[in-house]
Amino acid sequence: MFGAIPLPELSMILLGFLVVILASGVWIAVGLGLVGLLAMVLSTNVPIGQVLATTVWSASASWTLAALPLFIWMGEILFRTRLSEQMFRGLSPWLQWLPGRLIHTNIIGCGIFAAVSGSSAATCATIGKIALPELEKRGYDARMSLGTLAGSGTLGLLIPPSIPMVVYAVTANVSVLQVFLGGFLPGLLVMALYMGYVIIWALLNPDKQPPRDPSMPFMDKLRQSAKLLPCMLLIAVVFLSLILGFATATECAAWGVTGALGLAWWSGTLTREAFFDSVMSATRLTCMIMLILAGAAFTTAAMAFTGIPAALAEWVKGQQLSPHMLVLALTCMYIILGCLIDGISMIVLTAVIVLPMVKQAGFDLVWFGVYLIIHVEMAQITPPVGFNLFVLQNMSGKDTMTIAKAAFPFFLLLNVAVLIITTFPQIVLYLPKLAFPD
Amino acid sequence: QTKWNLPTAYPIDNLHTENLAQFVKDVESGSGGKLVITIHANASLFKAPEIKRAVATGQAQIGEVLMSLHENEDPIFGVDVVPFLASSFKDSKKLWDASRPAVEKKLASQGLVTLYAVPWPPQGIYAKKDINSVEDMKGLKWRSYNVGTARIGELVGAQSVTIQAAELPQALATGVVNSFMSSGATGYDSKVWESLDHFYDTQAWLPKNLIFVNKAAFDALDKATQDVVMKAAAAAQERGWKLSEDKTKWYLDQLSSKGMKVQAPSPALADGFKKIGEQLTADWIKKAGADGQAVVDAYKKM
Amino acid sequence: MRMVLDRLYLWSGYAAGAFLIAIFVLMMLLSVGREFNLNVASGDDFAAWSLVAMAFLGLAHTFKRGEMIRVGLLLERLSGRPKQVAELISLSVAGAFIGYFTWQAGQLAFDSWRFGDMSQGVVVIPLWIPQFGMVAGLAILLVGIVDELVVVLQGRRPTYEMEPAATPEELIERIASGGGV
Ligand code: NA
Ligand code: NA
Repeated sequence: MFGAIPLPELSMILLGFLVVILASGVWIAVGLGLVGLLAMVLSTNVPIGQVLATTVWSASASWTLAALPLFIWMGEILFRTRLSEQMFRGLSPWLQWLPGRLIHTNIIGCGIFAAVSGSSAATCATIGKIALPELEKRGYDARMSLGTLAGSGTLGLLIPPSIPMVVYAVTANVSVLQVFLGGFLPGLLVMALYMGYVIIWALLNPDKQPPRDPSMPFMDKLRQSAKLLPCMLLIAVVFLSLILGFATATECAAWGVTGALGLAWWSGTLTREAFFDSVMSATRLTCMIMLILAGAAFTTAAMAFTGIPAALAEWVKGQQLSPHMLVLALTCMYIILGCLIDGISMIVLTAVIVLPMVKQAGFDLVWFGVYLIIHVEMAQITPPVGFNLFVLQNMSGKDTMTIAKAAFPFFLLLNVAVLIITTFPQIVLYLPKLAFPD
Repeated sequence: QTKWNLPTAYPIDNLHTENLAQFVKDVESGSGGKLVITIHANASLFKAPEIKRAVATGQAQIGEVLMSLHENEDPIFGVDVVPFLASSFKDSKKLWDASRPAVEKKLASQGLVTLYAVPWPPQGIYAKKDINSVEDMKGLKWRSYNVGTARIGELVGAQSVTIQAAELPQALATGVVNSFMSSGATGYDSKVWESLDHFYDTQAWLPKNLIFVNKAAFDALDKATQDVVMKAAAAAQERGWKLSEDKTKWYLDQLSSKGMKVQAPSPALADGFKKIGEQLTADWIKKAGADGQAVVDAYKKM
Repeated sequence: MRMVLDRLYLWSGYAAGAFLIAIFVLMMLLSVGREFNLNVASGDDFAAWSLVAMAFLGLAHTFKRGEMIRVGLLLERLSGRPKQVAELISLSVAGAFIGYFTWQAGQLAFDSWRFGDMSQGVVVIPLWIPQFGMVAGLAILLVGIVDELVVVLQGRRPTYEMEPAATPEELIERIASGGGV
């Protein structure tokens, strides 16, 4: 409309506009849409409003995306059950002998709960609501207890199912199932890193560790651990529905909801009110995410009209940038972004620009999805905007900075995980390739 | 200089997209750089269901789409997926020649100018067991994704299963589906040999991709450039038809080399399908009315 | 008037919740149905349309409850008059955009009706019907934004700015089940 603005200038204008509009407190989805509008006004003369309506309709009416609200709902149902208490009681008898003792229940508990929940804040809150007071009562180091919870809560995003993974897969047009599978081993890796750190810390600070709980006869331990069965059963229901051919990757979200409802009913927490609350909470969270996705879908199309993503990919090609340099640059960018905005926005805001570059540099998009999700995990525990920090702030009554400091070692460990999966991409790609050989 | 955007749903290395890239090159050189077309492959600009609408309303100037995707809107768009009506490249070409005026007329009413059409390789049946007659298809878990495949499933007594194309490989691997109809090309792309081992080359139909341009955008070109576009389109149709036919054999060879039993349908199976075909052609004509009857009559006379 | 509007947001939110349950039921029917030779024809299409209806009809309710996310870093540091002005700017920008969006979505649905656009699966449904869910949801959100604009103009605290939670449990639940993923 205004003739051809050179691409570098156009990119700067759009980026500046995005920063101003988001900082001014306009809702993120609206801000994204406005950036798309500006991009199209400046670069094309097609009917912009029709592109807006068409792309949003096309992106929203999606079968694959229909799994998203169901995974969210599943987490909402479980949040209202007694699962966390059962998990703590079932795990704690077995962890007494490890240096660090019950601190490990935070990590393992979050890891198991992560396999049924797609959200980090929900994982952190569900496990934290029982573990935090119990650990405090026994005299565990508060800082370590908060740090492990903040860090392990983020496993909700890395270990499938995962809400941001669905968002990423839909945005990057890769298979949700493959990204899910890709997150599994890195999830175990992060757990191992966390536990290793706790063990070393405990060996170095023996005085900060309370004595063991009175030991329990083996049969009692087993009886306690039977409480873990419902959760294991739920994980089994989701995976078996998929593997045995009862469900497609999308439909297994519905099996998850069925299992969660069954579990809530069995534990006696499925009241009419809890059911209703879970539906409405899930609806609101879905609406929030879907509107951001709608804004992002339009911006993606708008960017394709400007030609910026293609030009950037060309540029990366021309720079002969080594893939590791690119990853390093992206890591710095995502850490900074992660301090300021939430994970979902981080994925959709950068996807348009970053994905073509990453593809050009020869990275596997499933691998990149997992890499990005680990950055989203970091974003959950870096101030000033980190949802796990907010959750724990309210649970413990401590301020954000104290909790952020407690979580800092785990932030560093997530960086170590990024380093490891970048050096050994097979850790991510092994399972997806096993299931979908190329 | 005029710039056009061309959305298409298929990846860059697909035979249709390769053909399209050559078309774009021809247009650019033929017009002396006056008309430049950017291909947005892999549904990166618009997704398949929206491409026709996007071009009709001027959101993109030119586009490519699987014609039968719009058969629910007008039966004429589904003429090439009537099972067993035209089941070779030669017949399929005749059918396109017979139906082109009607398709052009319908598209013109939506502000679209028809450029060319190129078929996919013929559709066959993928299965996990021997199918010697249509009775053997009873009880199969059969992927149905449009009116034609749903009706075939119904007529042979198979169990229709609704599965999106993106989930097909996983559905095959876990046994959610154990048979479906598609071309050798799709089977090759989705590595079907990992789950199924039979391919029956029934050549049930040859669906076509259609390339069209927004009328206002086309009219805005000078006469010389319009001629360049039309000439390049005619060449692309010729080239694409041949490319598709050449690739057909290549794809089937690939399936065999991966250990699949690629075979022609037995006489009994072919006979059963012939009956089904007659039924489905009658169904289609009923839906398409006199115009449809005229197209089929013209085709049969060729 | 207040009551009518609040009911509009709430009930469209309930409708969105009903569509969530519809998605769940459809998927279970598709999955379990296969074992019993029962196929939900175009079940994938219906699930996708339910998602659209859910995502858009619930918008106004989500917005009013303050669960639509924004970057609050600067806003939270303001108070009094500057804060009111900042909120008014945000609301006007959002109102203008959603107004434009609603109009264009309406145009999309109207064109679908005019051109006779049909769904592309086994079950044939005129596309304007599922598209109407998007238009209606956006229109209700627009009403909600204008409503808030009036509230803030009158110098009152915006509804979406939630009361501080009474108990820590309430806050945890809000965060765990709302804003943050
Ligand atoms: Na998870
Ligand atoms: Na952060």
